[in-house]
Amino acid sequence: MNGMLLGLMVGFVFGAALYLSDLANPDKIVGTLRLKDFHAMRVIAVFVITGMVGTWLLDLAGLAHFDVKGTLMASLVVGGLLLGIGFGLTGYCPGTGLACAAAGRVDALVTVLGMLAGTAFYIATFSSIAKPLAGVMDMGKVTIPEVTNVPYGLWVIAIAAGGSALLYLTREGRGSKAQFSKTRPEDGSAHPVAR
Amino acid sequence: MDTKVVRKPLLPWLVGGLLLGLVQVLAVAVDGPLGVSTQFVVAEGIVMEKAAPEAAAEHPLISQPKYRKTGYGWWLDVGLIIGAAATAIGLGRWRLTSTTAWWQANHGPRLWPRFAAGFAGGFLILLGARIAGGCTSGMFASGWAQLSLSAVPFTVALFAGGMLAARLAYPKTPAIEHGRTEFMNGKSGQ
Repeated sequence: MNGMLLGLMVGFVFGAALYLSDLANPDKIVGTLRLKDFHAMRVIAVFVITGMVGTWLLDLAGLAHFDVKGTLMASLVVGGLLLGIGFGLTGYCPGTGLACAAAGRVDALVTVLGMLAGTAFYIATFSSIAKPLAGVMDMGKVTIPEVTNVPYGLWVIAIAAGGSALLYLTREGRGSKAQFSKTRPEDGSAHPVAR
Repeated sequence: MDTKVVRKPLLPWLVGGLLLGLVQVLAVAVDGPLGVSTQFVVAEGIVMEKAAPEAAAEHPLISQPKYRKTGYGWWLDVGLIIGAAATAIGLGRWRLTSTTAWWQANHGPRLWPRFAAGFAGGFLILLGARIAGGCTSGMFASGWAQLSLSAVPFTVALFAGGMLAARLAYPKTPAIEHGRTEFMNGKSGQ
């Protein structure tokens, strides 16, 4: 019951944020993958940096619920490539496909039907494809700080700074200055680029 | 509404990214990081359970406890659908559309090729996500949020596949509107 209410609450704001941020917009995704329209790339970068800094702060307060997944090298590369090809072809991923279908995009609904077919194929071939692949170069559930022996906080600060630099370098000439000057971040510390 | 032009985004990228990042922080605070694709397996496990309970009980994947319950992750996906629909309706922007500006610029107005590509793409999307153990939410965004090592090879493969497919499928670029976002303009600029 509790899981149901929390899930619905988090899911609702996630769906709203995907829509409002235009990640649930296949034109913006394709534009970013073609390096012609950097809106989605910037949104994704801020999404990742904010989530990373926030998770780290929650961990410092002892409030984070981690769920680190296994580093199964072969599965990640093969699965990532297949997902990427579908992502580049359609402009959808599982979350934004559901969100776009809910917002009235019929092509997204067809893509979700394709996802259900892909899931059925995955289940049917699990023992012969996914399972053996998972055994190839399985490094276990590890984090970047663990394998590098560099402190968690140092990695967070380094990646946040690097990501912010990327945002800064791609900022000009894309009509984003007007948006930029009108925007004030809530926590400037995590986003030094945001003045 | 003209769908041949890529419209301006609703919000500045910084605001959109912060919203999504704060949702991730909320998720990590209340139960666990964001993830979407696992529930596709759960949904089909439920169907399999009804249609062929013995096969479901013996299946090496479906029989796992993780895929046999509709908990937080399940309701997160349900909430996502409701949240996106409610937002589109609330903004007065819910309308049926069947193709995109990028698709039309490259393949014309016919819908069935878009649908065929959409179905095939969807097949690869979930097959790939389940093989990898997560999608753009659970493996990419949540992987980086937790600094999981798995995010590194996954990100390289995801964007390599995505950029290659987009390059092949969308060689021509449509008109793209820039400038102030819709909400920052005060009024919707249509």
